[in-house]
Amino acid sequence: MTSLTSTTETDREADWKAEWQPVVDAVGDDFADGAVTWGGDPVEPGAVRRYLEPLELDCALHTDADVARAHGYSDITMPATGVIAWTIPKAWVPGDTLFDSDARDAQPVKTAINNADMPLGPRTTGFFGTDIEVDLERDVVAGERIGRRGRRLVSCTPKETGVGRGAFMTWESEIVTEAGEVVGRIRIGTYAYVPRPKEQA
Amino acid sequence: MTSPVTSPPTDPSSSAVAPSGLHFEDVAVGDGLPTVALPLTVYRLVMAAGSNRDFNSIHHNSEYARSTGAEEMYANTSFLMSSWERAVRDWMGLGGRIRAIRGFRMRSFNYVGETMRVIAEVAATRTEGDLGIVEVAIRCETSAGVTVGPGVVEVVLPRRTGSTSTTTEGSTA
Repeated sequence: MTSLTSTTETDREADWKAEWQPVVDAVGDDFADGAVTWGGDPVEPGAVRRYLEPLELDCALHTDADVARAHGYSDITMPATGVIAWTIPKAWVPGDTLFDSDARDAQPVKTAINNADMPLGPRTTGFFGTDIEVDLERDVVAGERIGRRGRRLVSCTPKETGVGRGAFMTWESEIVTEAGEVVGRIRIGTYAYVPRPKEQA
Repeated sequence: MTSPVTSPPTDPSSSAVAPSGLHFEDVAVGDGLPTVALPLTVYRLVMAAGSNRDFNSIHHNSEYARSTGAEEMYANTSFLMSSWERAVRDWMGLGGRIRAIRGFRMRSFNYVGETMRVIAEVAATRTEGDLGIVEVAIRCETSAGVTVGPGVVEVVLPRRTGSTSTTTEGSTA
């Protein structure tokens, strides 16, 4: 009886991991096929200021164009870590419906901040970032718009954690300007999962 | 569509402008950076989500965060990574630039109601031609211990006139 139970649990373990096999097999593929996902807006002073506020980050390179020019830049600079924020696409465009439910915790119809556009693997509702590596060739300045070119899957490791069953994935992109210049590279690690209810966690 | 700037910005570490802040020659391995303490209030996390565009509900909605297996809402990735930038920028001033971030690994959630501390020190220095490169070892801590990192922020600091080198030299912790 004990061995039968163990076998069943082993089968279940194999079943949920098998759902991730198509994703594991896709390691090395560029899911964006070289396309650029552009940030919603160019870098501009108001958005930079708002980025600095919750950090209480006092750096005149990001707020005072004269100071930035005195240090060799053509305008205020985007904070280096802004490569994430300024490459997130628009949340809404005219003609789209973003909210279609009045449930308290209803999620938008679409968002770039989850795993909803993943064409392979099991459907997941839990998602968070795990790790990041960034290389920056130069600073980005006000007026420039940046995007992420490509979305290459570097690794996929199915794993059960304290919050649910899912997979750790690492994605790699180039950071490019509208002029086509590569100004950086970014690797983003994520964990997409099916949440386990808190009482069972 | 807005046009990009027509002339690329220059790298101050390789230009003739007078930098403000630390020079490469001011820095030694083992130097500690001022610790940055950031109370993680709901207010701050909502401001962060609004400004860095990570609207995932796990970062501003306790009920939703719990439904995903977390204890509470927690700070988002951009905010955590930019907390490293805050610590490094506070220390190096205007003349340096961040050129790489490595080992930014989020080990556990940085929950609302905690005070997160960003702790860092100089781990290595080296020159690459005329560039002064400094590796800052950095991490975030809460009452749960190390929550992010330890990783490295690699910065380029301006060199004092006459300190240029054509060889690569360095030291590490």
